[in-house]
Amino acid sequence: MATQVVKKVPEAKASVIQPMLYKSVVTVYRIFAIVTLYLVLAGVLAYGFVMGFYALNTSWAAPIILSPADDKSLDFTEKLVTSRQTLEDLNVDKKKLEDGVAEMNKHRAALEALEPELRTAIVREKQHDQATGPELEELDKQKQADNVKTQAVMAQVKEVEAEIDKDLAAGLITKGDAATQRAALNQVQSAYTDSKIGEVLLTDNILEKTTTDTKSLDVLDKQAELISEIAQLDIAVGVAQKQIYEETKQIASLKQALATAKQTPYYLSVSGNNAVNFAFVPYDNQNSAAVGSAVYDCYLNMVLCRKVGTVKQIFAGEEHAIHPIFRTDIRGFLIQMQLDHAESAKSKTVFLNRKPLFF
Amino acid sequence: MAPVLVWLILFLCLLISLVKYTLALILKWSVPGARVEKDYTYQPTVSVLMPCFNEGKTVYETIESISNSNYPNEKFEVIAQDDCSVDDSYEWMLKAQRDFSNIRVRVGRNTVNSGKARTVCNALQLSTAELIISIDSDCIFHTDAIRELAACFSEPKIGSVGGRVGVRNPNENAITAIQTFIYYAAFQLYKVPENWTRSVGCISGCLFAIRRELLLEIEPKIRSRHWFGIPVNQGEDRFLTHQTLLRGYGTYINNDALCWTTVPSTLPDLFKQQLRWKRSIVRDLFYTLRTLPQHVWTLHPNTVLTLVLTPLGALLGLLVVITMMSGNPMEMAGPGPLIGYLAIAAILGWVIRKYSTREAVNNPLAFGAYLAWSVVSSLFLTTLALCTLDSRDWGTRVKEQEVSDGDASRQEST
Repeated sequence: MATQVVKKVPEAKASVIQPMLYKSVVTVYRIFAIVTLYLVLAGVLAYGFVMGFYALNTSWAAPIILSPADDKSLDFTEKLVTSRQTLEDLNVDKKKLEDGVAEMNKHRAALEALEPELRTAIVREKQHDQATGPELEELDKQKQADNVKTQAVMAQVKEVEAEIDKDLAAGLITKGDAATQRAALNQVQSAYTDSKIGEVLLTDNILEKTTTDTKSLDVLDKQAELISEIAQLDIAVGVAQKQIYEETKQIASLKQALATAKQTPYYLSVSGNNAVNFAFVPYDNQNSAAVGSAVYDCYLNMVLCRKVGTVKQIFAGEEHAIHPIFRTDIRGFLIQMQLDHAESAKSKTVFLNRKPLFF
Repeated sequence: MAPVLVWLILFLCLLISLVKYTLALILKWSVPGARVEKDYTYQPTVSVLMPCFNEGKTVYETIESISNSNYPNEKFEVIAQDDCSVDDSYEWMLKAQRDFSNIRVRVGRNTVNSGKARTVCNALQLSTAELIISIDSDCIFHTDAIRELAACFSEPKIGSVGGRVGVRNPNENAITAIQTFIYYAAFQLYKVPENWTRSVGCISGCLFAIRRELLLEIEPKIRSRHWFGIPVNQGEDRFLTHQTLLRGYGTYINNDALCWTTVPSTLPDLFKQQLRWKRSIVRDLFYTLRTLPQHVWTLHPNTVLTLVLTPLGALLGLLVVITMMSGNPMEMAGPGPLIGYLAIAAILGWVIRKYSTREAVNNPLAFGAYLAWSVVSSLFLTTLALCTLDSRDWGTRVKEQEVSDGDASRQEST
């Protein structure tokens, strides 16, 4: 009997405790469920509102912190260095070409000055030859006639020589007289030989002056070489000048490109020592971005906004970015912001020109 | 770390789903062993239990379709049990009893509204048959349905067999068209690998056959189901299937046993129905996790996978949609996913038109709307289901009716 009572008491206790336990669990669960559902509802409404807000708002911009180490900046730096190096190389090359052209022009001028002098000398020499040639021919004829006469005289010299030998053998003259007489005869013979040589040389001289000889051809060859060298110099100068023209154009383009590059946010980012604040503005919000317009930063990306700076510069180049909310690819441009509160550069979005919700 | 984990789990779920669907196609076309061997000479006595609540004339049509069954009339009966409908359902039951005298129709009524699960149990009290078939009172049945279900029980280890549920109103609007696709894919593809290992995770309550002794064994559990003291009267089909598996029996879907149901055609009705299903899924997951060691040691790995992954997928859907909406909200709005969905719709539409003319969807492109519905379903339904596990509301059939906690009993029967 007692055992039965002992057994029944825990059962009765359990039957009382269990419903209470269940009720407590269910109550806690319901509170948790209601809170969760309201949180979900609030989350969904907030999400819908944020989506709608960013679909309709036309003044938001997305701050961007450009680091010199990011891909675009590195790419930009690399291109900048390459462009500058190319510009330097082109300048050096152009200077070399210009110096070369100047030297070639100087050489050409010298050659051109030489050419008329050569031509005058050729004409003068030709005129002289034309004048002296016939004279020499006349003299040559006289010389030949003289030599013929001298040759006849030379036949008598042998007879005189025989007379000398006879006189010496007859003792009519001394040996000394004989030697003196013989020496005189030798001088006559030698003079005759000289005269013959002179005749031959004269004939050569006449030939030179009255016909076109190799010496004249050499002179003409030199003249042709001179003209050719001038023409070659003309061509070389022309090529060099064309190259200078092209390189001048390239230099101008590169200078223009570098000047444009200096107007980009990336140049400011990589060249400046101070932090520069940029923001991406989609084209849809273009009207809100003007130099000097106010920049607002908001809590929860849209409420309790405060002015944090102004728009300092607007960059012309097109940029692509990912929409901070919709995550779609969008087109727009960058602006530079003058921020009074540096931490606003880390906000997801800022608003230009006006507060998005009037507070 | 958390997003990586979510995406990893999502990837695994997608991978498993892909493997499952691919396996389904292979099994369907080339592995005869995936199908149960049916013996049409096996003809046990059958009780068709039809719980009813506020269905009106539909119950009459349902009983009429059963009366046309080609199963031997002397071997089956219909037990229609009204759960205190406030409309004229009970009168229609009585009329059916009078009109279809070729079969035995018994009509009963609960004393108080008790929910579908307990109404089935009440109807069971009237039955003496070897095989119990529980049906929904808004369905129309094929003449072969009972014969097809019974033939599967010739395999001794089969405990429960379900039929394929088709859609009666596929072209009512885009909502019914979407459901037509989903129903068809679920029965003809998703459940095929489960059929292979006789481990279907959930047999639809529209057409659910179970051995009598098994149902009697499970009945006390059905009646005593509660959630921290609050009676649970939803999801009895999933519960019954789960209990069948835990008792070492196989479960199977016979796609030749056909019935057609009228699916919700309005968003509120669809929302309520899906919410009810999600609650069942979540409850089932908690039950599975609570008794996971028992599941792992006693059930086929595919069964455990089915019982764990299906509800886990529903919960993950919530995380995935949140991650997607907070990370890349326009991802699902791009042309890629839409084209993908439309391509699936076109293929499914063609298959349904070819193999199930009655369910042919006139505008398969309506399936594209599933994209929007899946977001709503994943984001709201799972959350709501998790937060309303204490609800006893059936949702779609309530008409000015007080719902009682009491364990009802059959009050009257004819």
